[in-house]
Amino acid sequence: MTKAKTVSWAVMGAAIACFLAASCSERPSESGDAETTPEVKGKIGVTCMDLTNPFFKLISNIMAKEAAKVGYEIISLDGNNDPAKQNSQLSDFVAQGVDAIFLNPVDSKSAGEGVKKAHEAGIPVFTFDVQVTDPDARDLVVSHIGSDNFQGGRLAGESMMKATGDQGKIAIISYPEVTSCILRVDGFKDYLKEKNSKLDIVTELSGRGNRNDGYTVATDILQAHPDIVGIFAINDPSGLGAYAAVQKAGKADRITIVAFDASPAGKQAVFEKKLHDSPQQFPRKMAKGTVEAFVRHLEGEAVEKKIFIPCSHYYYDTAVDDESRVAEQW
Amino acid sequence: MTRLFADYGMVLVLIGLCALFSVLTIKEHMPSGTEAVEALLEQVHAECSRTDVILVVGAENTDSALLAERLGRELREAGYANVRTVVGSPRDMRLALDDLQAQGRQLAAVATAGDVLKWRVLDRISETHPAFAGYKRMAPEPYYWPGFLTGSNLLAIVDRIVVIAVIAIGMTMVIITAGIDLSVGSLIALSAVIGTLVMKHLGGLEAPVWAVPVGFLAGTLACGAVGALGGVVVAQFKVPPFIATLGIMLMARGMAFLITGGFSIYQVPDALAWLGQGRSLGIPNTVLLLGVLYVAAHVFMSYTPLGRYIYAVGGNTQAARLSGVPVKAVIVFVYVVSALAAGLGGSIQASQLKTGTPNMGVMFELYVIAAVVVGGTSLAGGSGRILGTLIGAFIISVIQNGMNLLGMESYTQQVVLGGVILAAVLLDKLRGGKGFTAFLPVGTGSSKERTEQ
Repeated sequence: MTKAKTVSWAVMGAAIACFLAASCSERPSESGDAETTPEVKGKIGVTCMDLTNPFFKLISNIMAKEAAKVGYEIISLDGNNDPAKQNSQLSDFVAQGVDAIFLNPVDSKSAGEGVKKAHEAGIPVFTFDVQVTDPDARDLVVSHIGSDNFQGGRLAGESMMKATGDQGKIAIISYPEVTSCILRVDGFKDYLKEKNSKLDIVTELSGRGNRNDGYTVATDILQAHPDIVGIFAINDPSGLGAYAAVQKAGKADRITIVAFDASPAGKQAVFEKKLHDSPQQFPRKMAKGTVEAFVRHLEGEAVEKKIFIPCSHYYYDTAVDDESRVAEQW
Repeated sequence: MTRLFADYGMVLVLIGLCALFSVLTIKEHMPSGTEAVEALLEQVHAECSRTDVILVVGAENTDSALLAERLGRELREAGYANVRTVVGSPRDMRLALDDLQAQGRQLAAVATAGDVLKWRVLDRISETHPAFAGYKRMAPEPYYWPGFLTGSNLLAIVDRIVVIAVIAIGMTMVIITAGIDLSVGSLIALSAVIGTLVMKHLGGLEAPVWAVPVGFLAGTLACGAVGALGGVVVAQFKVPPFIATLGIMLMARGMAFLITGGFSIYQVPDALAWLGQGRSLGIPNTVLLLGVLYVAAHVFMSYTPLGRYIYAVGGNTQAARLSGVPVKAVIVFVYVVSALAAGLGGSIQASQLKTGTPNMGVMFELYVIAAVVVGGTSLAGGSGRILGTLIGAFIISVIQNGMNLLGMESYTQQVVLGGVILAAVLLDKLRGGKGFTAFLPVGTGSSKERTEQ
């Protein structure tokens, strides 16, 4: 019994020690920043749909750096693709009394409840990358900062038409749960329609924005339509999944794949000519833009309700001299 | 006393965690009550004349807004002719400053509290409005208080765990029969989308109030039916519960996606928010609901024959059958209760988010099982306590909330949460059924007392 008791105390002690260590592990970076900035004025709560995605991790890091310059500390949480979890995180931010919330909604509709809660507590909310579409909550958001996904989709349409000579059947690998991805497809179709394209969109299936599903869906598409000449995938992971399927079917030289994002993996794939184009998003500009919008809000300047950052083409020619590709950066 | 520790030793862990987070979250707060108003009044009397221009500023929807309105009123009553009250955003204050400048007035003082002091528009007055650079800034003295121990935070702790805690009632019963139910997470989504779909078809945004309970009932009962299917498969065909409920988990998730086509359903009446966000008699509904359900479940498990049967089935199925317990019926019953609880959980979740989304409740089954096990219920079946489960659920909620308050990184949070769950269960094992009496000085006679009962 005495032994069991000693062990129990040891376990409890270890647990508390771990906890304190974990909570203190954040401190060094804070004190490091504190040297360059005079004082920490407050905290900003950030919650992203998925922090395991390097795109959001980068945005969160840049936000932390930019916010530190004006004396704010960023608390960055992972929404884990779970709307309920993100909603609790927003409640915690409210309880904690943060000075602002930067929100990247997991679900454009259900995030509205959290936005209302923050507004009722007088906390300004900024959204980035994905907008809140709940009709009551939409107007409560101070400002939205995001890529111009519709315009990016039009760029993808332009590349697809050029690369295929505007002839033949094509497929779209979409992700209809996410607004930004819907807009890319809309922009793509809009460009084709405007130019009276002769391309025939034979199918549109969800690749859920990841490599595995992109691969599976593309495999099925190739079974059903062996004669397609092009695939537009709404992001790089699903585009690369599609490439794997196309390559396995031995059709890599016949099928043009246009993806989206120009992520590090996407840039490399464009360089290796696996992808023809991947309209580029600018996460750094997005992160900086969000912090700037917050600062302008605090200064009492008029802040635009929506700030869109245009996308640009990312071709092989862009990739050749691109240092960020070599450095595996966004 | 020792008995209480033995039964609910995890209470100590919970109290310890609350104390830890209270200490770690102590921070500066700005008073906004009567004392703060009086302190500011005195400051103004001491430093300003009756004709000075004084801006009284409050941030919209915060305590500082109430303070600003009161202070503004009292200053005007005291005879200050040029008091301006601004309640709103930094933009509103900037516009007020621009307005003063346009009229060629001077600015003697800005009286305010709380968030407003962090507005950069205040810091930049000397740049944007050089004429006002000599203004006086007046604010009450701050005080210190743990951010963890505020009304809104304690409610946030309940709100984040209510779904898991409700479902854990059913899960406790299932686990006491030595079963497991992996389908509850998916059933949350199924219930939420069925419920919100019913409301959408009964009129959507304009749907009458009764559409809400009808929707909840439809979602919950549909889950109950699915649970009955699972129960029969387990009881009648002796399929291991792990596999039976795994199959249902996949089916239910798939159905939730199928019937919505993968989209969220948000065309629901405002009344939907009542269950998860409203209050009755001044008490938040989530708190009331948890209280009522847990008292009812505790009484049911401790004082009714059916409750005793559940323990008997988990303790020794053979012996239970021989002594006349309807084993199969009891097993079907617990899976139905578990599924109904998951259905209710889905209704609460839909109410909290005012949406039905097919990707709700992913991984929730694991949190529910963790709550039950941390609460002291044995996965081997036969023993466990409903109120222990409630404590287990709160331990998980307090840890998650506390880590968010401390601003701990998400990746670290997962590691810590997993570690704490492991440590809690390990402690439970090591105490060898003696509860936390193992920590008390030798000779308090805990083990003796225990055997007497």
